[in-house]
Order: sequence, then C-alpha cells, then structure tokens
Amino acid sequence: MLALLGGSATVGLAGCSALLGDDDDGNGNGNGNGSDDDTNYEVSDHANKAQAAWERVVDHPAPEDEDTRNEAYLEIEEAVRDDMVLLPLYHSKGERFWYDYVDIPEVGALGIHHQQFTDVEVDGDDELNLLNSTFDELDPIMSTDTASGIVINQVYETLTHYPNGVAEVENKLIEEFEVSDDDLTWTFTLKEGVEFHGGEELTADDVRYSFRRLAESEYSERSNFILGTASGIGVEYDETDDGDVEPDSIAVEVVDDYTVEITIQEPQPALLDILTYDGFSIVPEGIVGDIDGYDGEVDHSEFQTEMANGTGPFEYDDFSIGEEMRIVRNDNYHDGEPTIESVHWEINEDPESRFTYAMEQNADVFDIPTSQYDPSLIDAEERDDGSEIGTYGPFENDEETNYLAVPELGTFYFAFNVSNVPRPARQAIAYVVDHEELIEDVLEERGFEAFGFTPPAIWPTGEDGYNQWVDEWPYSPNETDIEGAAEVLEEAGITEDDPIEIEAATYETAPEYAEMAELIRQKLGDLPISVTNNSTQFSTLQDRGEDGDLEMYSLGWVWSWEDVSYGHFSFEPENTDTSRMPGDATGYYLDWQVNLD
Amino acid sequence: MSRWRYFFKRLLLSIPVLFLVLTFMFVLLRMGPVNPVAARLGPEATGAEAERMRERLGLNDPLWEQYLDFVTNFLTFDLGQSWVVYGDWEVTSIVMTAGPPTLWLGFWAILLPLFIGIPLGFYAGLRPNSWGDYTASVSGILWQAMPNFWLCILLLALLRQTQGGGWLGFDWYTFGPEIRSITGTPDLAFFSVSWIDAFGAVSVPLLTGIDWGALAVDIKLILPPAIVLGSASMAAELRIGRTAILETINSNYVETARAKGLKERAIVWKHVFRNALIPLVPVITNEAFLLIGGSVIVESIFNINGLGRIFFLAITQGDLPLAGALLFIFTLIIIFLNILQDFLYTIIDPRVGYER
Repeated sequence: MLALLGGSATVGLAGCSALLGDDDDGNGNGNGNGSDDDTNYEVSDHANKAQAAWERVVDHPAPEDEDTRNEAYLEIEEAVRDDMVLLPLYHSKGERFWYDYVDIPEVGALGIHHQQFTDVEVDGDDELNLLNSTFDELDPIMSTDTASGIVINQVYETLTHYPNGVAEVENKLIEEFEVSDDDLTWTFTLKEGVEFHGGEELTADDVRYSFRRLAESEYSERSNFILGTASGIGVEYDETDDGDVEPDSIAVEVVDDYTVEITIQEPQPALLDILTYDGFSIVPEGIVGDIDGYDGEVDHSEFQTEMANGTGPFEYDDFSIGEEMRIVRNDNYHDGEPTIESVHWEINEDPESRFTYAMEQNADVFDIPTSQYDPSLIDAEERDDGSEIGTYGPFENDEETNYLAVPELGTFYFAFNVSNVPRPARQAIAYVVDHEELIEDVLEERGFEAFGFTPPAIWPTGEDGYNQWVDEWPYSPNETDIEGAAEVLEEAGITEDDPIEIEAATYETAPEYAEMAELIRQKLGDLPISVTNNSTQFSTLQDRGEDGDLEMYSLGWVWSWEDVSYGHFSFEPENTDTSRMPGDATGYYLDWQVNLD
Repeated sequence: MSRWRYFFKRLLLSIPVLFLVLTFMFVLLRMGPVNPVAARLGPEATGAEAERMRERLGLNDPLWEQYLDFVTNFLTFDLGQSWVVYGDWEVTSIVMTAGPPTLWLGFWAILLPLFIGIPLGFYAGLRPNSWGDYTASVSGILWQAMPNFWLCILLLALLRQTQGGGWLGFDWYTFGPEIRSITGTPDLAFFSVSWIDAFGAVSVPLLTGIDWGALAVDIKLILPPAIVLGSASMAAELRIGRTAILETINSNYVETARAKGLKERAIVWKHVFRNALIPLVPVITNEAFLLIGGSVIVESIFNINGLGRIFFLAITQGDLPLAGALLFIFTLIIIFLNILQDFLYTIIDPRVGYER
C-alpha cells in the first residue's frame, strides 16, 4: 500500500527533475547517443528505477521472496507508466459461444487451449464438434500456436497443468515435488500406472527423453523455455564450442523409475508454471530419432502429423491436414475417463465460412467474427473477476447461445522508442487516449481496458491494488484530456513553431491498431504533435524494431503461464537495447537503456 | 513462314519467359520485405534461435548460390518444403492433396459458363434488340460487375438461411443429396479405381465403378463456389458470343447463303456458329487465368482445401518457398495454356502465320 502511494508521489517529482535537468546538463546523458538531439529532453528518468527493480527480481528468486518480487514488479509498472515508454491499450477478451445442448466447463484466463475435454457432454451426440485454424504439427516441441496447442493438450500431457485454463498450476503427471534449500534442485515424483496410448508405462526415462528433445532437437522451436534463465526454467547444461547445447548434457537426472531430478542454473520460482507449456509434454522414450543416441521408432515426418502417442484423455484417430482432425477417447486414461467418445475439428480460417459452419450447428462451441458481432445481443452479468457470463442471441438461425467472456492474460499496446520520441510527446499521447472509447468504437467492446502492462488477474498487489492503480493512473483514464496533453507539451517547450512528428507503425494483420492510431491523430488536433500511421507487414515492423528505427509501434504480449516476470523481463532497460538485438537483447523495442546512469 | 514454324517459334519463346519468371520470383521472394525466419518463429523467439533457423534454411549462403539452387531445383521439379503453413512438408505432396479440389472447382467453373454463357450469348445475338436480348445482356453486365468475394459472402448467407425451410421456400441442405455444410472440401472419392498390369511392367488405372450418391454430393458442394468463380467469364462469354454472332450474321457470305435460298436453320448451324466460335477461343483459354486468381478468394471463403487457399495462406504468413513453388506451378499452367491457345489457333484459323 505504502509502496503504491510512494510510487504515485514520485510521478510529479520525477517529471519536474527531468524538465529541470534539461537545462542543467543538457548533454549529460550522452551514452554514445549524444548526437541524437531528441534525447536531450530528459536526463534522468525512471529507467534506473526499472533496472534496479528488475535486478531485485533476479536476486530474489526464492518462493518466500514473493513479496519482494511483487514490489519490484509494481515499481517496473510505475517506471513504465511514469516514463510512458509503453501505453497499454487493452487486455484480450476470450469469448466463447455454445449451444444449449452442450455442457462444457468454463475456461480461465490462460485460454481455451489449456482445457482438456474430459467433462464435456453433448446432448444427443457422442462427438464434440469444434472449429480450428490450420496447423501442421502434433509434435509438442514444434507447437507454438494455439491451433496445434489445443489438440496436443488432449493427446499429450505435461508434468503440471492449468485445469481449464484457470491460472492456478496443479499437478498432472506428478504426484508431488520437492525443492532443495538453495532452490536449484527440483525432485519430481511421477504418478505410477500412467500408460501411453501405445501401452508403455510412463517412467522417468520418458521425462528425460522428452526434455532432451525440447533442448536438443533441431525441430525444437522453444528450446529457450528449457535452456533460458529469464524466460525459461534455465536447466543446467554444457555448451559446445559454438554455443549449442552439448548432447545428453542437460541436468535432468533419472533417480529411479518414478523420480526425476532437475537442476537449474538460477532459482526460478515460476518453474512449475513453465512446465505447463506444450513443449514439456511427455512422449515415450525413443519414439523419434531426432536427438543423439536414438534411432527412433517412427521418422519425424510421421511423428509430426500422422500419429501421436501420449498419456492424454484422447488418442489420435485421423488428421487430414488443412481439412479436419479427429481424436477418440482413451479408455485407459489415468485421470477420469472422458464422457464423450470423440472430438472433431473442422479446419477453417475464413470468418464468413466459420460463421456459416457455426450457424449450421456443425460447430457446438464457437466464436464469431466481428462482422457478425453485435454487442447489444449480449445479455450477461459481470462477475467479480471481470468475466461475463450469460446469453447471446438470437442469431440469424433463431438460436440463442450461452456466452462467456474472460479477461485473458494478454496485453495489447502502443510502445515508443525512447530515443526517437521525447517523453512529453509520449505522455501527451497517453493523455488524449480514451481507453473506453477505443474499446467501444474500434474493438466493438471485444477487449478490456488496460492501464497497466500486467493483466488484473495476475496483478502483483491483487485486486484491491489493481483498483487503486487505475484510480491513480495519472493520464486521465477514460477521457480525452487535451488540456493535460497541452500542459505537458508546453512545460517541455514544445510549441507550434517546432512541432513533433511521430510515425505510428502498425501491422496489417491487426488493422484495429491503424484505426486507433487514426483516432489518436484526430484527438491530437491542434496540439503541436502529429501522428501519422504507417501500416506494414508484421515482419517489417519487427525488423525495424530491432534496428531501433521505430518511433511509436503497436504490438501485443500474451502470457503462456501465469508469471508476471514472463512479461516483465522485456522491460529491463538494458534488455531493450536495440543495438544488441536480435542476438543479445530480447526486450521490447524501447531503447530505454539510453537513459540509464 | 508456315503455320507450324510459327507455332514452334512460339513454343521456344516460352523458355526465356520461364527463366525471366524464375529470376523475378527469386528476387521478389528472397530480397523482398518478408523476413521468413520471423514469420516462422514468431515474435517470442530469441536471436540465437533465429540464427540457427537461418542457417538451417540456407539463408546465410551467398546469393548467387541460392539463385543457382533455386533455379535448378525448380526446373527439376524439386519444389522444396513449406516453411510456415505446413512446416517441413514437401511442396509436391501439398500439391498432390490440394490440387484435386482445385481442379474439381476449376472444371465446373469452366463448364458452367461454357454451357450457360455461350448459349445465352448466341440466343441474344440471334435476336438482337429484343426483350430477350436486353434481359440477357443487362444481367450479364450486372453479373460481371459483382466482385467475387462479395458474391461468395452473399451466397453463403443466402444458402445457410434456407436451413429448415426459411424464406426462400426450399432447403438447400436437403434439396437433392443431403449435405451437412455448404462449406468444406469435396471428398472426390466417388470413383473406385483398380490398377491393372499391362505389358508386364506398366500399371494402368482402370475405372471400376462410380458411387453416384457421393458424386452428387461433391457436385452439390462445388456448385455455389463454381458459379461464383465462373460468373465473370460467364458474362464475358455472353457478351462476346453475342457480338460474334451479330458480326457473322451480317457478313457477306451469310448474305450469299441466304440468296442461294438456304434455310435459316442451316445457315445458323452450319455457318454462323462455327465462325462465331473463333473469337471465343482466346476468351475461354484466358478464363483459366481468371480462375487461378479467383480461386484464391473463392476457396478461402468456401473453405475448400485447394491450391488457391494454400497460396493465400502462404502469402499472408510469409511462407516463401510454398508461395514461390505455387507461383511456379501457376506460371507453368499459364505458359501451357498460351501454347494450347496458339495450337488451337494454328488449327482453326488458316490466316495464322501468314506474312503480313
């Protein structure tokens, strides 16, 4: 509580010192960037605070230090807000519509791909019919998209999981775990009697093999989740001369048939959460020969799409790529047999044709495209956690469906490259943005207002802390505060004679950002700053970001597990140095480090 | 120059065209704005992973080496693998699965305008300035003016609302063979084939049976998208057919035939129709170009797992090898159609190849 008040009190002070400092030692913040005139607007700001806070997070990894870390997370949020390096716009809204004849548990903030369909009932049918996007892999270590994730999660399982996507981690394939005193050695006891679909019993060797694949296989697309320390579990391993992982060197030891011991480089409090990621799914030892020491029972292309052998509640039945996928009940499932016989996905990416498929009642549970969406048809009540439950309809086929909207762990934002856009301009933009209006007009209410980067569901100081945060948000929440913007510009000496021009880079696959940038342009009106929108390919935006060439840009961040630091490590100012990207720095494209002491 | 020398000259000319296209594609794909590694790995990947991926995909090799590889691979039909859309899948196997539905769609999309557009045009041409002519011509122009994507969405909305009767008075779902959805990929498993050994070594496919019910379902499934896809060419054929009939019917030899006392029926069937078909040849072959472009939209909206939809996915997801390979196949088809067009001309029209 005190930290919060203290934090908001420093807003004014810091703002002043930044402005005063400009006159005192204008060129003091050189950092090799002295040639760039734009950086002279500020000398000291909150980058130091963010840097120190992140270092505190890293230095206090033990489970009992959670309060310390939460304080630090809050300080990072404050620094982000006070420097306005990143303006959060909205948190994603996960929506689900389902016909009355379907009985399906609700999902939580981590999204539908964490839900196993064990407790689903479909009246009058023994198959659950769903829609999915195209995907091309059932190999867990290749899966980086929701489309394959939702299927893989029915067939394969991880040591821990989020039941129905609710952000509270639980054991899945393990009975219990133990952590050593130095927080570096994790001992897992596996459940006994768990069988793969092929009949083999799950043992510690399978775990080691699966984790080795994630770390070593050439097909692994998220090896940083096991090897990396900031954004992964950071397992101990040996490096080869050219920086790769030495085969068979990861510290995942088989103690006995049901015991696995994992040794990590630095304490990682979110380890159990990270283990829920698809890539950590357990496959039978030796099934594919893509790592040293194994010949494989099937070749990789077969393993990728033509078969699956996991411990999940459903087994592979049929996959015709680009068309449909079907899985059938695993009668030997270790964790409560599924009620339905099978699950079928029609693969379809086109919004109109997906909607048609849903209206034909071919899909039992579905979402609807914005072109067909009418918020006035929702009759739902809001609950304490921000989710909404009720009904939607009638649709054009006269049916009324159930409706659920959940605030998901995703944040969509406009961010700034600090050395290209002066702080008063960044703050002025924050003043004129009206979150409520953006969500109503541009998103048709398909989003939740965001005032912090961290979503409310995992806010470090809880629900009350979050409400207080919103109340104290300095840039006039939910209104277009032209005066506030004018004031901050005037104080900085930005006038009509020397206006600031900012390019807002957005990407084509998310046209709503272009609309928001246009709205901001209009709101800024006569103020001495202007925003022009430049909509490009996503990869172009990424390249320009890494080159430090962006001014204002749109992006989103989605949490794969419920750990604040998974989004916050990218704020560490030293990690936002675009001159070290993409190799050594992995943060947001902020160049926040130029303002470090 | 004889007719056949002319034809072979055209045939040879297609070789430099092919090389030009390949070079242009290489430049566009490898040096364009799309970053394939970013497209494949997504924004969460680290620099080290990106570097590993670049190495694996051969993007760190010298450009001329990449170019040589590219050209030789394509000319030997080694079309490589998809990177993003169907990661690591051979392009040839993608084409094998996605090709048939596209052919099925294209077949009907050409057939429908042929049997509706041309007869309507001839009908209008034989009765110029009558009410029938006006109706056919005006509706042809209107039809041509409607963009494909709009027609698709309209048709989807119309048909899905016929479910359970509806205000159209009939239910498309139960009308004729029953279907579950108006979208989706046709099965194309309505025929059974057995392979028999002929001449000892060669296997020859033999059609042993047709499942008429499945065939009917496949036809019903393809009709709406085929009508949309064929709509533009249907209207073009109507209008050109009408003009062609009008031109021939007013020409001197028809006048002569009339003067000789030939029956009107014989004039129309024997003389007018044949000659009116000549200007329609390039129209019909050119339709194939439209079909390739149009199938991208129509297949996406009707969710047909064909080449057009995959091309669309490849372009939007930055899957360079897949998009390039499909472009190459489309180029081959277009070059082939051009040759076919020249060939047909060489046969039909004796004036081709004469020195001017």
